[in-house]
Amino acid sequence: MDIISQLQEQVNSIAALTFNTFGTLQRDATPVKLSPNYPDPPPAPVPPPDDATKFEDQPKLMSAALVKAAKQFDALVAALPLSDGGEEAQLKRIEELQAENDAVGQELQRQLEAAENELRQVQELYSQAADNCLNLKKPD
Amino acid sequence: MATATYPPPPPYYRLYKDYLQDPKSAPAPPPPVVGTYVCFGSTYTTDDILPSLEEQGVRQLYPKGSNIDFKKELRTLNRDLLLHILELADVLVSRPSQYARRVEDISLIFKNLHHLLNSLRPHQGRATLIHILELQIQRRKQAVEDIKRRREEAQKLLKESLGAFEAQ
Repeated sequence: MDIISQLQEQVNSIAALTFNTFGTLQRDATPVKLSPNYPDPPPAPVPPPDDATKFEDQPKLMSAALVKAAKQFDALVAALPLSDGGEEAQLKRIEELQAENDAVGQELQRQLEAAENELRQVQELYSQAADNCLNLKKPD
Repeated sequence: MATATYPPPPPYYRLYKDYLQDPKSAPAPPPPVVGTYVCFGSTYTTDDILPSLEEQGVRQLYPKGSNIDFKKELRTLNRDLLLHILELADVLVSRPSQYARRVEDISLIFKNLHHLLNSLRPHQGRATLIHILELQIQRRKQAVEDIKRRREEAQKLLKESLGAFEAQ
């Protein structure tokens, strides 16, 4: 994929990581204690053991992923092949290349015509030689 | 379940009844659309230029100018984005009801980022064109060299065969 599309994909993935982070943290956080007078809730039953990552690790993991994505974006930006000539420099280069392309194209055309001429001459000479050979051979 | 019949075809076909006998009796096709047109209630433009951010009603965060340093602006916007995300996290902890402004700021930064990246596309197109032209010039030069070489080989062969012929 070209680098600008990669940059766009990276921006979108940073956005996705952001809202996933906030959404997950907001959904899974333990409730806030409103006043010290309220009693603690009864201890919850043993959580199902399929929770591979505990909730305390989630913020660390997700923020690490976010920072990694941002660093990746910076690396991609550094890899941009932006020659700082601007639009005019590019247009000038395009004009130069077009002129050179035309010149080389004309040279190619000339060479091609000359080669085709020579080919035709040689073919004619061959056909003449073949005719002479045929005419020299007398039928038995 | 109610079903509706398809709408009938537009009635213009009746105008082309004698088209085979007299092509001029029927109206000519309409000319292509120029400028803006309305399609299903929204306006579109035939001019394929990326509209600037002000035209879309979005504030432009990076400095305007003819020559923008894309790398620097992209990096600045990236850093701003991370700061705003941290700000949003802080606001959610301390004053959760004031999230809206921060979320707006973050989406503004994202819109600016995407607009910057989109404005890099014309540059990419021109660079691709330059690359293609260079490749074509290289191929043509190679073809010229090939033809010259073959012609010289052919001339050499003819001279040799002429020499061999005369030597007989």
